[in-house]
Amino acid sequence: MRQRRIFGAALPLLGAAAFLLFLVFPLYWMLLTSFKGNSALFRIPPDWFPSEPVLSHYKKLFADNVFTTYYRNSLLVGFGSTAITLIAAMFAGYGFSRFEFRFKSLALFSILSTQMLPVVSLLIALYTIYNGYGLLNTRTGLVIALTTASLPFSIWMIKVFFDNIPVALEESAKIDGASRFGILFRIVMPLTKPGIFSIGIYSFILSWDDFLYSLTLINKDELRTLNAGISIRYIGELSYDWASIMTVCVTSIVPISLLFLFFQKYMVSGLTAGAVKG
Amino acid sequence: MHKPVQLERRGVRLSEKAKDAIFLAVIICPAFILLLSTIGIPIVKSLYMSFFQVSLLSMKSQVWNSFDNYKQLFADGDFVHSIGVTFRYVFSVVAIQFVLGMALALILNGKIPFRRALRTVILIPWVVPTIIGALLWMWLFQPQYGVLNYILQTLRLIDQPLQWLSDMQLALWAVMLAALWKQLPFMVTMLLAGMQGIPGDMYEAATIDGASKRQQFLYITLPMLKNTIKTVTLIACIENFKMFPLFWIMTSGGPVDATTTLAIFSYKTAFIDLDLGKGAAIGALWLIIMLLFSWGYNRLFAIGEGKGGSAH
Repeated sequence: MRQRRIFGAALPLLGAAAFLLFLVFPLYWMLLTSFKGNSALFRIPPDWFPSEPVLSHYKKLFADNVFTTYYRNSLLVGFGSTAITLIAAMFAGYGFSRFEFRFKSLALFSILSTQMLPVVSLLIALYTIYNGYGLLNTRTGLVIALTTASLPFSIWMIKVFFDNIPVALEESAKIDGASRFGILFRIVMPLTKPGIFSIGIYSFILSWDDFLYSLTLINKDELRTLNAGISIRYIGELSYDWASIMTVCVTSIVPISLLFLFFQKYMVSGLTAGAVKG
Repeated sequence: MHKPVQLERRGVRLSEKAKDAIFLAVIICPAFILLLSTIGIPIVKSLYMSFFQVSLLSMKSQVWNSFDNYKQLFADGDFVHSIGVTFRYVFSVVAIQFVLGMALALILNGKIPFRRALRTVILIPWVVPTIIGALLWMWLFQPQYGVLNYILQTLRLIDQPLQWLSDMQLALWAVMLAALWKQLPFMVTMLLAGMQGIPGDMYEAATIDGASKRQQFLYITLPMLKNTIKTVTLIACIENFKMFPLFWIMTSGGPVDATTTLAIFSYKTAFIDLDLGKGAAIGALWLIIMLLFSWGYNRLFAIGEGKGGSAH
C-alpha cells in the first residue's frame, strides 16, 4: 500500500521530467551545436556539454550581409503586419462586440471559417492577382497577405476582451458628450490593453513563423524573409552544414523567445480567452 | 469625412441610430476590405481558375478545359493517395497530441514543484518557427551523427541507426514527432486553462462522496472540458490539414510520395509543375473535403451532447 502511494506521488514527477526532456532537450541541443567546432560536431559519442565552445559560426553568420538583410525583412514584415492587424482587428472586434446588425453571427462565423480554407487556393489566386497589380516581390504584398492570416482569430480574441468591459462606462462617457471615436480611443482601448498586447504578439509570432507566403510571393533575394532565406540557402545541399544551420536557428529564435518571455502573461490569457470562450 | 457633417446639418432626428450605423460601417470597413481582397476574392477566383488550363508561365492565356483538371486528378491516383496521407497524418498527430497533452495538463494542474516555471518553459517550442523546428529535428534525426540514433543505440532499443526521414515506413512518423514537439505546448496550455476554470468544490464534493481520482476525471474533468476539447482539437486539426513547412523542409513529400500530403501535392502541382489550373482544382476539392470534415466534426460533438443530456 505504501509502495503504491510513493509510486503515485512519483509518477507525476517522472511524467513531468519526461515531457520536459522531450520539449527542452532539442532546444538545448540546438544551442550546444551552434557552439561546436567542426571536429566536435561529428564526434561519437557526442559531447553533452560545451567542452571547447567556439564562436566562429556566429561570426561567420553576422559577417554575411545576406542574413542581416533577411533579418531586417522579417522584422519589417512582422511589424508591418502586426500594426495593420492591430488596427483592423481592434476596430472590427469593437464593432462586433458592441453593435447588433443583420448577418452578424454569419459574418463572425465566416471570418473564423476562413481559417479552414486550403492555402493553395489562396496562394494561386493571390499569385495571379498580385502579378496583375505589381505586388509580387514587394514587402507590401507580403504584409497584406500575412495580415489576413492573423486577422480572423485576432478579431475573435479582441472581441472577447471588449465583451468583458461593461457598457455602462461608455454610456456615461456618451452622456458627457464624448464622440464615438473618443470613447473607443480614450475609454475602451486603455482598458483592453491586455487584449491588444495579446493579438499584437499573436500576429507577430504568426508572421515570424510564415514560410509559405514568403516562399511563393517573393523570389528576390534582397526581399526574402528569414525563413524563406534559410530554406533557399541551406536546404537541398548534398551535405548539410549543421553547425551553421543551428546557429541561424538560434538567432531566429532569440527575438521571438524574448518577446514571448516578456509578454507571456498576456499571450496565454489572450489565446485562452479567444479559444475557450469564443 | 463629408458625410457626417452633412447628416448633422440635416437634422437631429437622423442622429443616433444613423450615426451608429455610419460608425459601425467605418470601423468594420478595414477588416472587411482586407479579408475580402485577400481571402474572399481569391477563393472565388481560384474556384474559377480550376476550370481553366492555366500555367504559371502563361497566365494571360486561360483556356476553358471543362472538367479536365478534375478528371486528371482522379485518373492518376496521386490525389487520392495524398488525401490518404493527409488524413493519416492529421488524425494520428491530433490524437497523440490530445492524449499526451491531457496527461501533461493533469500533471501541471496537480501539486508539483516549480509548476509555474514549468508552464512557461514548456511553451517555448510553440513560439519556435515551424521551419526552425523542422531543421532542428532533421539534425536530431541525422542517421550517422544525429543524437537520437546515438541515444537509442546506447539504450539498446535499436541495433542499427535508423534512416528516419528516408525510410518509407518511418518518415511520416518522424515528421509527426517534430509536429508533436511544436504543437504539444499549445494543447497543454489550452487544456490547462480549461481545467483551471473548473470550480474546485466540485472535486471536493466528489471526494466526500468517495469518488476515485479516475471517476473524478471521467465524470467531472472531461465533461467540464468538453467545449475546450472541441475547440483545441478543431484548431489542431485545421492547422495540421494545412501543414506545409514541416513536410517541405524535412522530406519534400518523399521518400517517393510517402509523406506527400494535400498541402505538398497541391503546392508541387501549382508552383513546381507550374500547373495553376490543376492546383486550383486540388484546392477546390480540398475545400469540399474540409466542409465535409467540419460538418462531421460538429455532428460528432452534437452526438456527445445528446448523450450528456439524457444522462441527467
